[in-house]
Amino acid sequence: MVGNRRTYPARGDRRVHITYRPETLREALSLMKESGKEKRVKPFAGGTDLMVRHRGWHGTTSGFPSDILFLDRIDELKCCGFYDKEYHIGAACTLAEVEQDDRAPSILKEAITLMAAPALRNRGTLAGNICNASPAGDTLPPLFILDARITLIRQGGSRTIPIEDFITGPGETVLGDDELLAEIRIPITEYTHLCYRKVGTRKANALSKLSFAALAGIEGGEIRDIRIALGAVAPRIVRDREIEASLQGKAFDEIDLRGTLEAYGKLICPIDDQRSTAAYRKQVALNLIENFITRDIREDIQSKE
Amino acid sequence: MKDIQKAVPRVDARGKAEGTTAYLADLRMEGMLHGKFFRSTRARARIVSIRKPELPAGYYIIDKDDVPGENVVAMIENDWPAFVDREVNYLGEIISLVVGPDREEIVRIHDSIEVEYEELEPAFSLEEASALKGGPIHGKDNLFADYFISKGTPDEAFRKAARIIEDTCDTGLQEHIYIEPQGMLGWWEDDRVVLKGSLQCPYYVKHAAQEVLGCDDEGIRVIQSTTGGAFGGKEDYPEVIGAAIAVAVNRIKKPVRIVFDRTEDISFTCKRHPSRIRFRTAVDEKGGILGMDIDIHLSGGAYETYSDVVLQRTMFTATGVYDIPSSRVRGRAWATNMVPSGAFRGFGAPQALFGIETHMNHIARELKVDPLEYKSRYFLQKGAATVTNGRIYEDVLLPEMTRQIREMSNYKRKYDEYSKSFGRGIGVAFALHGCGFTGDGEQRLIKAVVRLVKREDEKIEILVSNVEMGQGLLTTYRKIVSKVLGVPLEMIIYENPDTARVPDSGPTAASRSIMVVGYLLQEAAKELKQRWDDESSFEVEKHFKMPPHTSWNQDTLQGDAYPSYGWGVVAVEVEVDPVTFEVETKGIWAVHDVGVPIDERVMEGQVTGGVIQALGYGSLEKLELKDGRFYQNTMTDYMIPTSLDFPKVEGSFVENPYPYGPFGAKGGGELVFDSAAPAFSAAVEQAIGKPISRIPVIPEDIMEVLS
Repeated sequence: MVGNRRTYPARGDRRVHITYRPETLREALSLMKESGKEKRVKPFAGGTDLMVRHRGWHGTTSGFPSDILFLDRIDELKCCGFYDKEYHIGAACTLAEVEQDDRAPSILKEAITLMAAPALRNRGTLAGNICNASPAGDTLPPLFILDARITLIRQGGSRTIPIEDFITGPGETVLGDDELLAEIRIPITEYTHLCYRKVGTRKANALSKLSFAALAGIEGGEIRDIRIALGAVAPRIVRDREIEASLQGKAFDEIDLRGTLEAYGKLICPIDDQRSTAAYRKQVALNLIENFITRDIREDIQSKE
Repeated sequence: MKDIQKAVPRVDARGKAEGTTAYLADLRMEGMLHGKFFRSTRARARIVSIRKPELPAGYYIIDKDDVPGENVVAMIENDWPAFVDREVNYLGEIISLVVGPDREEIVRIHDSIEVEYEELEPAFSLEEASALKGGPIHGKDNLFADYFISKGTPDEAFRKAARIIEDTCDTGLQEHIYIEPQGMLGWWEDDRVVLKGSLQCPYYVKHAAQEVLGCDDEGIRVIQSTTGGAFGGKEDYPEVIGAAIAVAVNRIKKPVRIVFDRTEDISFTCKRHPSRIRFRTAVDEKGGILGMDIDIHLSGGAYETYSDVVLQRTMFTATGVYDIPSSRVRGRAWATNMVPSGAFRGFGAPQALFGIETHMNHIARELKVDPLEYKSRYFLQKGAATVTNGRIYEDVLLPEMTRQIREMSNYKRKYDEYSKSFGRGIGVAFALHGCGFTGDGEQRLIKAVVRLVKREDEKIEILVSNVEMGQGLLTTYRKIVSKVLGVPLEMIIYENPDTARVPDSGPTAASRSIMVVGYLLQEAAKELKQRWDDESSFEVEKHFKMPPHTSWNQDTLQGDAYPSYGWGVVAVEVEVDPVTFEVETKGIWAVHDVGVPIDERVMEGQVTGGVIQALGYGSLEKLELKDGRFYQNTMTDYMIPTSLDFPKVEGSFVENPYPYGPFGAKGGGELVFDSAAPAFSAAVEQAIGKPISRIPVIPEDIMEVLS
């Protein structure tokens, strides 16, 4: 084991936990397999969520309930780039690295730029934002409309699944006990209209009350492709391919706007919390959908005619 | 510009910017122990029993049984127990203090203390407090204070009224979010307790520690540590921490330090008083104001702290900058099962000013007149009677300030244009802020004393109990003394106060540090200059005297509530997003009369900081109480503005020297907080075309108003 073993007493049970910091993916996967069944090891990428979740009284060590596996030294997880017409983002790539990469999808970069503050973006990772599986995760709506896929890897195998299938509920994913998220793959997407809106509690260093990502491809006045995703308005990111399909191939005067909003309204079931109200989230989510269809796209097309 | 106004480099800037200045959390002592409060988890209950774990050697649980003197946090009324005796009145009330060398062990001990409660029915809201839900928390009626003042002939005004216009205005809780959380270090030295802490009022902490220790004046010494912001939040709560540490040090005789986490700080330290103010205004046929009836309710939390005085300031500011011929003002401060409300920049005035400014806007709206034009008709002038039947003794420059704000903000064009459609708005709000303690408090309660020492090495030392807390006092006091003496700034010494060395010049509060204490320093420096050659080293002492023009009766609350006022006007321009109801602030303009600014850059800093803090209060800082707990108790959820949330404040000053202030200066630290919140809400009102009478004005509420 190249990684450092540092022990510290845990609060409460006083059991000694171990931190691992391997330099190869092989070592990491072997560790995951060894301790996987008892869920004893927690993969740790940027730690911007984990450190807050497990913080203790100041001056005490964080109260992690398990061993920790740092991913930050594994070069194999740090690659970003295009292969096979897909943009790949390694699990140890920071948000800032994606933000500064010219090849990264612009809507994803826009979402990242509005996240937290530079110091946190230098530390936090896209993979961490996905595994945290918060309904308010800011990168999720863009990843959903971009049809991003997630590659999971375990000793002796890997699988690649759509992001929609990866996240199953708030804080819940299909990540196996012995698996690591290795990379995110984003196919090249063509579109004519793109919109990202973060409705935060303030302009910077803020969590989202809700977020909205949409794209559309318009050809000859007809909708060739339209995709809409909403964050923080339901237990999971809202994206509905049936509603999207119902809009495809239509000209604008053929769109049943009211019916579309009603259909989305059924999927939007937000909560009241310390940041906003369910009523606000729902109303604004519907306003954003309507605004995208009627103003961002239709008025734009009309202005070009 | 007067010479005194020219900005000099701040004495403390370099160390703070470079990070070399030591704050309380940086201080360590040999053998120092850490302390962590054990707090109640119920908002209202009786303690049936407490089970403490067996303690390892060197660990202590300090509680009421360790208090040698009175088990109280001495403020105005001694109603706040230092440690819970039997009754718990708010969630988070201090039951005991766990002390020891290892913080992990302290947490373990803390987490294994078990308390059995007999739960009682809590009263959280003003409605519940006034209905005495669960029985009274304080006295027989839940009232910390209930006052009434009257001016002119209000009965007649309402009899003659052609119409009566009414409003109910609400303001919310606010947390200070000083950069440095609360903290204090105590130790045993020369047979007495010494406290060193992040605080505004060394003698307040000394008084509180003295009561709890039952010791004489010599039994306790308090030193200020460099304080990373306060905003009033370190006027009252350091007494709570100080009393507890004093008891612990007295028993253990070792150094003990308490430093709060941000979440502990937000959850359990004093907040700005929430308010509900009802206005009724009698208006004649032509739209002229005949009289006002104002009913003020403040939510005081579980113990009194300074609620009595905060309420008085709310009442004495209730008619704002306006000369209202007749008025009745009733004020009540209620006890609730919430963390005690306490001091916060503005001290009751911002609540009143949000109310009166909003109400005046609504009257103008009803009468279909431009609110700025309508307000201008009622400005107080020199010689006018105040709401307490005192006088305005100074020139009131509001007409000139209004002219400037109109010009700077391009008010007229914008107001007319934005009236025609949805989405944009401009609002203007006025403020006055009484400088110094309310009524004759400076003479009756504070009795400030300052000393200046000429030393052998010809350096001059300032001995006062007022503190630098970010507002620039280390620089401005030195400037006053150096200018009078005509010596360089470097010749003046002014250390963080230590009660073993400095006289009691009163608290760092109430916009009094420059006007009251700074004036005494100016007078002391004048005398020192005269006697300069008499001796190689000597001391000059000056005692506060009320300015001869003022008179006040504390029993009837009649007369001059304040010797002088700071004046301000702020304009805010906004744009409301029709899709998300988010508000973008497009411009902020401010004109203030603080007499003469002692340092232009320091005062500009006060204006920017105060205005932006007030815009946070008016637009972002939602703090809700849920089952006795603050719902937004982290920096993630409690929203203060960032540098991206508001544009630059365009500010200016008018000069209006006050004869009893140093170089003509009046108070300004609180005034700058007073106008921006009502200006913001007025701008949003115009943008959405609907009245608003509650702050913070958040998008959720805008949506509700519009639907």
